[in-house]
Amino acid sequence: MNKSKRRKNQWSNELHDIIRGASGGFLFGIPLLYTMEVWWIGSSAKPAQMSIAIVTTFLVVLLLTRTEGFRKTKDIRWRNAAMDTVEAIAIGIVCAAFVLFLLREITLETPLQETLGKIVFEGLPFSLGVALASGFLSGDRYESSDSDSEPMINPTVADIGATLIGAMIIAFNIAPTDEIPMLAAAISPPWQLAIIAASLLISYGIVFAADFTYQAKRQQQQGIFQSPLSETVMAYLVSLAASAFMLFFFHKLSFDDPWSVWLGYTLVLGLPATIGGAAGRLAV
Amino acid sequence: MSESNKEQPQKRTLAEWVTFAIACLILFTLTGLVLYNWVTKKEEPPIISVTRNTPIRETQGQFYIPFTVTNTGGETAESVQIIAELRVNGEVLESGDQQIDFLSSGETQEGAFIFSRNPSQGELIVRSSSYKLP
Repeated sequence: MNKSKRRKNQWSNELHDIIRGASGGFLFGIPLLYTMEVWWIGSSAKPAQMSIAIVTTFLVVLLLTRTEGFRKTKDIRWRNAAMDTVEAIAIGIVCAAFVLFLLREITLETPLQETLGKIVFEGLPFSLGVALASGFLSGDRYESSDSDSEPMINPTVADIGATLIGAMIIAFNIAPTDEIPMLAAAISPPWQLAIIAASLLISYGIVFAADFTYQAKRQQQQGIFQSPLSETVMAYLVSLAASAFMLFFFHKLSFDDPWSVWLGYTLVLGLPATIGGAAGRLAV
Repeated sequence: MSESNKEQPQKRTLAEWVTFAIACLILFTLTGLVLYNWVTKKEEPPIISVTRNTPIRETQGQFYIPFTVTNTGGETAESVQIIAELRVNGEVLESGDQQIDFLSSGETQEGAFIFSRNPSQGELIVRSSSYKLP
């Protein structure tokens, strides 16, 4: 029994490690995914430049993994670091390809070279985020700076505030840029639904799978915001509201625009805002 | 988690090996595709062709002239300029232009020109006029 339990543990530990890595990648890589210049670099990159980019990133990620990494293990000999580096790059590539596909920057009709270029140049920054993941995602969210003092404010209010702050930090840089209208124009309703699903999934992944150490404490808390599913949904709604406000603030949306434009823009900005919001709840 | 680490501090678990194998597969596929692309890449400049396959449609007194632009060359073209001219009796009555940001090798983009005169009354020319290399 003990053995089978440990085996089950090893798989769930591995899954947590991967999700922690992916979460770090999203936090670091999402602003670059919303930068059209990076898509263009990918579009025009030659195979030789892509190869150089992969090799360079491998070396940088290897150095980062030696000091930080995305695993909890403290065993950082060169051989393990090299293996983790391969995994970090693979996680980065897969996540970046997923979001590029979601945002219709890559479609099934895109030529192979352009697809590769975009995935390489968007995925490699993601890998850096993966390699840094344990640095900013391993902390226990309720034991950060003031661990011994009881929280002074209602945890629900604290979570909404933290979501807002995190969403602002990540999405404020993206809201005034032209990428939002560009992306929104190419995204049809079925893909908008896919973006909603992906936003919820990533948000859930970052907060509830990045670290499970606080779960026992978390279940003691009461409030509408406190069960994992409802917290994820509420945080998404808060992030969407923040996105809509930021777009309005930067004159990207006005009251004359039809509601479909509001919806399209808000959903596109909602993805980075949700990721920021999830990170905010971990950090604050 | 920390306890199991103490028990077996160095050894990788089966789960970690499986992840590593999948990661290797992804990375090798990626580098393989990049290398494949490198080897099979055509060393030739962009070749831009503009075609009109879709019929012209008339809506609210305007004539929509769809076009398709394809790069059949080897390299990516940037800022591809497409122009359309409607000539009647040798005189340009109407013209339009459109710019495509990026057209990589094998890529196809679509668009349309909008004229207020019926193009069938004269000679319609749709062609690409320029591009630059990235």
